Amino acid sequence: MTKDELFSELSNAVISCKKDKVLEAVEKARRELDPSEIIDKGLAAGMNEVGILFEKGRLFLPHVMMAADAMTAGVKLLEDDLPAGAVKGKLGTIVNGTVEGDVHDIGKSIVSTMLQSAGFEVHDVGRDVPVQVFIDKIREVDADMVGLSALMTTTLLGQKEVITCLKEEGIRDRVKVMVGGSPATQAWADKIGADCYAENASEAVMKAKELLCGA
Amino acid sequence: MRGVHVATSGMTGMRAAGDLVARVEFAKSMKIGDAKAYVAKKLGVDVMDLADENAMKEVREELGLGTMTEFRETPKGIAAKMNIEKVLDLKINSCELFRSLAGFI
Amino acid sequence: MATEYMTRMGDGRRVFMTREDILADIEAGVAEGADSAEVPALSEEEIEHLLEIVCAKERIVTVEPGNEIVMSQDGGAISIDSEHTSGVPSGRILATLMYERGFCMDSIDFGHTDYSFKPVKPLISVECQQMRWVQEAVTVPVLYGAMPNMGLYYTPDGPYENPGDLMKAFKIQEARESIEKSADHLTRDIIWIVQKMMKSGGADGINFDTTGAAGDGDFFAALRAVEFLRKEFPEMYIEMGMAGESMLGIHGELEYKGKAVAGLWPHKQVELAAEAGANVFGPAVNTNTTRSFAWNLARAVTIVKEASKVSPIPVHVNMGNGVGGVPMFELPTLDALSRANKAMVELAHVDGI
Repeated sequence: MTKDELFSELSNAVISCKKDKVLEAVEKARRELDPSEIIDKGLAAGMNEVGILFEKGRLFLPHVMMAADAMTAGVKLLEDDLPAGAVKGKLGTIVNGTVEGDVHDIGKSIVSTMLQSAGFEVHDVGRDVPVQVFIDKIREVDADMVGLSALMTTTLLGQKEVITCLKEEGIRDRVKVMVGGSPATQAWADKIGADCYAENASEAVMKAKELLCGA
Repeated sequence: MRGVHVATSGMTGMRAAGDLVARVEFAKSMKIGDAKAYVAKKLGVDVMDLADENAMKEVREELGLGTMTEFRETPKGIAAKMNIEKVLDLKINSCELFRSLAGFI
Repeated sequence: MATEYMTRMGDGRRVFMTREDILADIEAGVAEGADSAEVPALSEEEIEHLLEIVCAKERIVTVEPGNEIVMSQDGGAISIDSEHTSGVPSGRILATLMYERGFCMDSIDFGHTDYSFKPVKPLISVECQQMRWVQEAVTVPVLYGAMPNMGLYYTPDGPYENPGDLMKAFKIQEARESIEKSADHLTRDIIWIVQKMMKSGGADGINFDTTGAAGDGDFFAALRAVEFLRKEFPEMYIEMGMAGESMLGIHGELEYKGKAVAGLWPHKQVELAAEAGANVFGPAVNTNTTRSFAWNLARAVTIVKEASKVSPIPVHVNMGNGVGGVPMFELPTLDALSRANKAMVELAHVDGI
């Protein structure tokens, strides 16, 4: 099998959401490939595809979770093969929530799930979250990024309030800010000084990787 | 925003016969072409007349189907809807409730 | 230098594009819509027609006389006086009359400020009394409007554990059970509220707005409620408007009449809505704010056209802020709104908006 064929087999195994298939593909690939390649170009690529298929309605949330679980098992299998100190840890720590006054939960929860599935440590603080709760959680877990969701034009301003408070607390420089939710746009993100805007859950994962991992 | 939608493609509600076509779409699950044909036949007008305020004004006044302007002494609301029931040959829930509350049925 | 046309981005920003660039975006939007929803692409003639609409020099375009369609207003009564929008202190009844006699709508929905079914339950007698007032004064059809909004049945708002939290903890079966219990509860609440509204309020019917907002369980609960209500009230008007283009599979295994609910696109959603007993279906296609208006409109028209084609009931496409090709902007620009409207009538062949 060529390298590309092995990557494809790994990726397809993750998309199948079956742990045994993933473990089988990893066992086969580890004889030929570098473990970090198996993770990045095989398993993670498959997980990205799972996110896209979820957005298109071809896969559902339970599948995303099963795929993530399978991928985690595959990565664990490779831990012994990785050089000392190269064991891949979390990609970053993210606090995610819907701003105060807005009770919408589902979209934000999907983003949390997808970020977690992609390898981030996610602290979902829920919906209708007071500004201070975001700040306290960011400090408590030493977050690298905060995700702010708002589903109504009337609650968008809550995103700006969190950013203002981050500045007042003197921690804005060490925390990236991602905004999302149906009324949010890139122009809005620029206006309030957020670091990025994500159109949907898979884009949120992509942008988080760009900002926190340089991917 | 609503104004632009109406200007672009709206039947203009009670100014013409938009409410009547809407009622038939809802009451009989008819698509727009069939609903328009149904209403036009019941009113004895051409399909083209249904979104034409000039053509519909007289028809609405004569049949008591409700008019946009108040100064005409024509029925509106529940009274107009009772006439709409007869003209379009369908039942309207609020009219049924009104008749029930008034002891007519 | 090639002529440039004023058009928009998906977030409403004004941009200037050449005819060639607009055409390329239309073709890409059509291809993306056809691929995502698994529906036929628009023909070359239809793409050319869409290009003419987008490139029209006029600020506002219109359909030809005789091709007008029905305007069914959702969120009508509350979008005038509620703090969410204009904030005019009119009250709902006056707002409804304004929609009838000022804005010339063909049908209107009348709802509670929160606009979800659940909070209406303890207020039902007030809502029925208000609806009776409206029905005595208004001539055009008035439907009671509310969102199924099944999210309100999950913790911390409701009695059932939040499936999002359960999923994150890999408790997939428990999450599914929570969704099923919430759906049962929601179906019961909708039926109870609508029974009162039809019998005591005299409503013409019900507008289920943003159905599926909480995923497949939300749609499933609403479909079962529609089926029950259609049997009890054979002549009531039932409009089923959707929250988004693809039915999010939060549960993933729910079936209605033997058909999987998750992952359905508008042309499949409408089949279930009609089978349940809805009279009018309202597809929603989301706008991507980073793509052009031409791309978004082409994609939306491609998806809605197929829904309209296969639908046995009238289709009233959602065309507000961020849906139906309309840019996502608090004040949708009139040029884009008008073009999107004309395209939906002439190319997607919708029965209403």
